[in-house]
Amino acid sequence: VLKRDDWLDLARKLDWEFSYVSEDQVYPEVQSGRPSLPHAAWRDWDEPYRTSYGEYVAQQYTKDLSVFAVREAVGKADDLARLPAGWINALKLHSATLPLAEFAAVVGNLRAARFGRDSAWRTMATLGALDELRHTQIPLLLMHELVRRDIQFDWTHKFYHSNNWVAIAARHLTDELLLTSSAIEFAIATNFVFETGFTNLQFIGLSALAHGVGDAMFEKMVGSIQSDEARHSQIGPPVLAVVAKHDRAYAQYLLDKWFWRSWLLFAIVTGFSMDYLTPIEGRSRSFKEFVEEWVIDQYLRTIEDYGLERPWYWDIFLESLDHYHHMVYASAYTYRASVWFDFVLPGPRERAWLQQKYPRSWGAFEPIWDSITERWRETAPGNDFAVHGTAIVTFCDLCQLVLSNGTPQKNSATTLDREGRRYIFCSAPCRWIFEKEPERYANHKDVVKRVLAGEAPANLIALVRRYFGLDYDSWGKDAYRGVYPWLARSKP
Amino acid sequence: VIPLYGFLEGDTVGLLVLASEEDSIEELGRRLSASASVRVRPKRDLVVLHDGRVLPNGWTVRDAGLTALDRIDVVSRAREERSHSS
Repeated sequence: VLKRDDWLDLARKLDWEFSYVSEDQVYPEVQSGRPSLPHAAWRDWDEPYRTSYGEYVAQQYTKDLSVFAVREAVGKADDLARLPAGWINALKLHSATLPLAEFAAVVGNLRAARFGRDSAWRTMATLGALDELRHTQIPLLLMHELVRRDIQFDWTHKFYHSNNWVAIAARHLTDELLLTSSAIEFAIATNFVFETGFTNLQFIGLSALAHGVGDAMFEKMVGSIQSDEARHSQIGPPVLAVVAKHDRAYAQYLLDKWFWRSWLLFAIVTGFSMDYLTPIEGRSRSFKEFVEEWVIDQYLRTIEDYGLERPWYWDIFLESLDHYHHMVYASAYTYRASVWFDFVLPGPRERAWLQQKYPRSWGAFEPIWDSITERWRETAPGNDFAVHGTAIVTFCDLCQLVLSNGTPQKNSATTLDREGRRYIFCSAPCRWIFEKEPERYANHKDVVKRVLAGEAPANLIALVRRYFGLDYDSWGKDAYRGVYPWLARSKP
Repeated sequence: VIPLYGFLEGDTVGLLVLASEEDSIEELGRRLSASASVRVRPKRDLVVLHDGRVLPNGWTVRDAGLTALDRIDVVSRAREERSHSS
């Protein structure tokens, strides 16, 4: 009998030379991706985990038992009541945006399991597909239990099937990233950029915060998911190495495009949770500090190893790191009925903390929170619509998110006229991505264009109810209905 | 109706402004400011910018040549004068 390590190479490296079809026919560029290279270029492909199927099943079984044990102990609806209100809403944001995106990632992994250019890559992608199925099913199961206590958790399943503006933006990203990208683009965009850089923020950073607020169930769940991500993300680096060697400009383009697109999503999903929804006692570091450690340091070091450069828009990104999630949070707070989770109004302690963590930018947001707070002082508790926007907000024609990039003093939105149509983008990188592949993006309509085309209602309440799929019970409100110990009302 | 992208100085998001050709530029600025008032306290003496130039308050939307999905910026006159002098 062969020893395990001797057997593994035989089992993983099963490529052979084709005799009656060409490599191009077996691995067409549209599915496998570019550059289209002979298999000899991929022969040395390897990753460090080198897991067999039998080992995979045994490991996953143990991990599942561990998650279910914690669920039995602290994962019931009644346990939710012990958690801070802000944190519960961070859970709703996470649960809606990520589990069904993971389901889309099953498709991306399966494409790589067939069209990846080396058999070891294809084996790893098969395990990756099983991982992503697990990452869909576990949160769907855990959050379903919570629906009986809080109807907003219903959006764990509903979100991607709705026309909510956040869902439109999330689908625009995940459809391209996970469902339609070639095996090579998927490996660089998802396995390398998204999973190596950004999911650490959500799965390690947020796991630490879950520990801080005493949410053992979420901490266990994301910790278990992260251990899978750490393994299958290792598909990315060896694919990037080959692409960078043979078509450096294309490798750089994929990195730059997906870094920006991933950044915008995580700035909202993770940025909101870390800097606003987690109670201040549970915070260990700011979102920016997590990004500096988990994304900037690690990402730049890694791409330099492949002779690649930081994105051309690096200065814009750093500016955005100080502003973007603060811009979107203040905007979304004042349009909270348009989403499926509640918001926390930052009070004096939270604002002092944000000032300390964002000394360069926070001053620009102080007058905005002064104004919102003042409005609450004049408003009866629970009267959310008195502290709410009424005009339709505007959206980027690339990322489909609100036009909230730049700073309060200078919004960085930029317009483009192309073939008789006008487009608007939240930022120069979004415009750049659009202009690189306009045929890919040009026909997608953002929410404003749908309103103007008569496809969605122009009245905000009608838009929220009939198009975004929300009603009074499910739409977002202030998490404390505007009642805070520090907020004295001018009228009783 | 002429839909415009409106950006108010000090605000965090662009808003859709629905204008008619007869609306004055001053009215346009006031409307955007009112729409954003939950976040930005209304200010006096605002100016409306289009393509980097100040539109006279007395002009109408037609006079200014604004067309669908143009971008307008509404800023305080003091800021505009500061940026002009620098």
